[in-house]
Amino acid sequence: MSKSEPRIGVYVCHCGLNIGAVVDVAAVAQYAQTLPGVVVSRESTYTCSDNGQRSIQEDIENHNLSRVVVASCSPRMHGDTFMKTCETAGLNPYLFEMVNIREQCSWVHTDKEQATEKAKDLVRMAVAKVRLLEPLEKQKSAVNKAALVIGGGVAGIFSALYLANAGIKTYVVEKKPSIGGHMAQLDKTFPTLDCSLCILSPRMADIGKHENIELITYADIENISGYAGNFQVTVKSNPRYVIKENCRLCGVCAEKCPISLPDEFNMGLKKRKAVYIPFPQAVPNYYLIDAGHCLHITKGGCMLCQKNCPNDAIDFEETEAVRELNVGAIIVATGFELYDATQKKEYGYGRYPNVITNMDFERWVSADGPTHGKVVRPSDGAPPQRIGFIQCVGSRDEKEGAVYCSRICCMATVKQATMLREKYPSAEIYVYYTDMRTPGKGFEEFYQRGREHGIVFIRGKPGEIEEDDNHNLLIVSEDTDSGLILRNTLDLVVLACGLRPPEALEELAQKLHLSRSPDGFIMEAHPKLRPAETSISGVFLTGCVQFPKDIPDTVAQSGGAAAMAAALLTKDEIELEPVRAAVDEELCIGCGLCEENCDYGAIEVKKTEEGMKAQVIEVACQGCGVCAASCPQKAVTVRHFTDGQLLAQVTAALEPEVIV
Amino acid sequence: MTFSPRIVGFMCNWCSYAGADLAGISRIKYAPNLRIIRVLCSGRVDPYVVLTAFQKGADGVLVAGCHPGDCHYISGNYQAEKKMKATWKILSKAGIDQERLGLEWISAAEGQRFADVVNSFTQLITELGPLQADPQKIASAKEETADFRIRWLVGREKDLLEEGNVFGEPVEEAVFETLLDDVVSAQYIRNSILTVLKEQSMSAKELAETLEIPSHVVVEHLIHLRRGQKVHMVEGHPIRYEVSAW
Ligand SMILES: Cc1cc2nc3c(=O)[nH]c(=O)nc-3n(C[C@H](O)[C@H](O)[C@H](O)COP(=O)(O)OP(=O)(O)OC[C@H]3O[C@@H](n4cnc5c(N)ncnc54)[C@H](O)[C@@H]3O)c2cc1C
Ligand code: SF4
Ligand code: SF4
Ligand code: FES
Repeated sequence: MSKSEPRIGVYVCHCGLNIGAVVDVAAVAQYAQTLPGVVVSRESTYTCSDNGQRSIQEDIENHNLSRVVVASCSPRMHGDTFMKTCETAGLNPYLFEMVNIREQCSWVHTDKEQATEKAKDLVRMAVAKVRLLEPLEKQKSAVNKAALVIGGGVAGIFSALYLANAGIKTYVVEKKPSIGGHMAQLDKTFPTLDCSLCILSPRMADIGKHENIELITYADIENISGYAGNFQVTVKSNPRYVIKENCRLCGVCAEKCPISLPDEFNMGLKKRKAVYIPFPQAVPNYYLIDAGHCLHITKGGCMLCQKNCPNDAIDFEETEAVRELNVGAIIVATGFELYDATQKKEYGYGRYPNVITNMDFERWVSADGPTHGKVVRPSDGAPPQRIGFIQCVGSRDEKEGAVYCSRICCMATVKQATMLREKYPSAEIYVYYTDMRTPGKGFEEFYQRGREHGIVFIRGKPGEIEEDDNHNLLIVSEDTDSGLILRNTLDLVVLACGLRPPEALEELAQKLHLSRSPDGFIMEAHPKLRPAETSISGVFLTGCVQFPKDIPDTVAQSGGAAAMAAALLTKDEIELEPVRAAVDEELCIGCGLCEENCDYGAIEVKKTEEGMKAQVIEVACQGCGVCAASCPQKAVTVRHFTDGQLLAQVTAALEPEVIV
Repeated sequence: MTFSPRIVGFMCNWCSYAGADLAGISRIKYAPNLRIIRVLCSGRVDPYVVLTAFQKGADGVLVAGCHPGDCHYISGNYQAEKKMKATWKILSKAGIDQERLGLEWISAAEGQRFADVVNSFTQLITELGPLQADPQKIASAKEETADFRIRWLVGREKDLLEEGNVFGEPVEEAVFETLLDDVVSAQYIRNSILTVLKEQSMSAKELAETLEIPSHVVVEHLIHLRRGQKVHMVEGHPIRYEVSAW
């Protein structure tokens, strides 16, 4: 509290007739004059106009005002305007308080007397608070001009390239041994049927060789601390046991390796060795040893790869490496996970060989896949003649835990059915759908072309699939358009599995203090206006980790995320809002409730000479005040919203005669 | 004249306060009884401040924040809910109708809903009539919101429910509720004793009569309070109790 009696100026605005028509502005201004500490009280037609602002500034100088109250519109509207007015006149902007007598008084009440009484009350409450306000200084914090992109799918690849091309040092951390994500596994992309890897792999290569990009693959984020402009990130990379510079990709090691394993990149439809390269276009492009399955690492002995490598590239001594990265901005691009179709027991995936998923299909149809691009019945290798697609598997299905639509599966199915039609012109192709959703450029046209090419679309989701002795699949469904019950025996069924948040997302979200929406994906800062930002300043978002979307939308969002990260990183310093928590160490007993309840890790109980005391990490604190409302000692408060200030407002609202 | 209640509101800056602004921009009319105090987040609302409002003569207090999951500060509204739930328990101990403390989620896009909430809350409070609670009971309840044990329980609720007690066993919600009820009841009696003793020293029997609770209960709590050095005995006949300076 200030030592000397504050000198308060009150400005009551007519806002033309917006306020003046309902509230008796003159009466409110006269009333304000009677409040303790008020030295000037004026009416003003438009306080926010140049004239209005000048009059405040003149009073600050001439009357030596130490506090200003403006009663006009919402502080969300003009709060900043008047704070600047004060600042320009040399008054600390935090010694200002605004009274909302337009949005929350004149515009919502009709009875003039009541509205005027309410306006007086609100002014009195503000005067009570403004007396207790303290000057606050905006702190500056230097910006570390590097960025981190977490996840190396198409979302991460494009945001990293945008940043790096803008001259920003960018780290890309990818969990898997290669970047590329799901797009690298796709054969072609809708609706234009471009070859997926042909358009992606040049960009992957750019990531590998860009002078501003440092790629860290096969690595996990261990820890993240700090705040916008200044994050510290600990990254642990797993050993690959292969020396990058020496590996010439001859593949002799893999030829000799005795261990054969399902190849993840090919959805387990092919085999790989314990020493392997994830796929030919992988970036970084060299072999690695799968430590969990390598005979030498798990049991000892073997070392056939090392003995046979002509280039001395195998190094069993390699250990995990831990690094600290200092960055100013983070882009989260960790994508999605495909719905696990074995969960949907009624469709028999995993039990019936001829039931496959849409991602399996992408590998079957790929020239690099198990059959070099020939789609066959897995049970006998025969070309399928009657094929069914089932939509919304694990999407729009409350029982399976996802009420949302995964957005891409309808188009992925149209794409896959179109490709099948090209390969098998006489095959019968059925799509069992709930609703066909085609909102995208060229999507509806692509879908209609599919219909014209004889793909049969049946509205109705089959309840169950049965299998006969020859592994043929029997589907019974109701055509909800005609009401007919349809029985169909098919050679092959493709499940259009939906997109789910990756399993490890929860952990990452906690490390970053990000919230997740009810669907499990990361929540954006605003559903419409800030889709590429998160609730944490300095942390941005792109791709399917925000919500399922196709490649064009992913790339567009990556541009947005990168632009926003760049806007932060091109500044030398950022201003930090001074409305933050503050601890009175004398009162604090170190109970830790504040620390426990702070969502931002912004307050920590630390050992001091006086015992355990809470300390605010000023730059991380967002000023929400949860700590202040939790503290049993009233030891922590939030500046500008202190207990004393709130109690003064409460008292002024209810006891007109007392102003403390 | 008909009764026109006095209502204090705490609205979070990002959702509810903005919802109130939208009601204004849309010129939706509503009852003029509410006096809004802007806070950054509903999680800032300290039950102590709420009880102060009742003590100073509010007939109703309305706390509003963002919808679950939408809090600008991640989980401030969840924290507000925990605190208001405990405050409801405390209010009913003091004989104040729980409904006088409203908790609502109103988004920045819900101008109409804001007006509806204010109207129905104002009507509810009008029907309940002026708050005529015993000042001494409100004072005890207010002290109780600042009580360490209650704040500790409320502050650890999420942890206890999700991560478990010292044995790593998650505490069931019902068990937690009972625990909180017990602590609130016990603490309420202790605060009442202290409030009364602050005015004048009394014997256990007199306390029991004043507070209308059985004397063995009073004695039990006096033992606790003595152990915590909150009260001490004054020799004589009968033995009287006095608040300790601390
Ligand atoms: C069957 C199918 C067919 C499709 N067909 C098309 C199509 O034809 N056209 C189209 O436009 N779209 C299509 N899509 C959608 C397309 O796959 C996505 O839009 C795209 O892959 C999204 O990219 P992303 O980078 O957000 O996610 P992902 O591709 O999932 O990439 C995420 C990356 O982050 C990594 N990662 C995950 N967690 C972490 C972590 N904690 N730390 C570090 N790294 C991590 C992953 O390993 C992965 O490399 C299809 C999808 C499916 C399932
Ligand atoms: S809650 Fe209060 S007393 Fe407890 S550690 Fe935090 S500041 Fe200190
Ligand atoms: S005000 Fe909010 S962000 Fe700051 S320390 Fe307190 S709880 Fe954490
Ligand atoms: S910001 Fe609205 S409840 Fe937290």
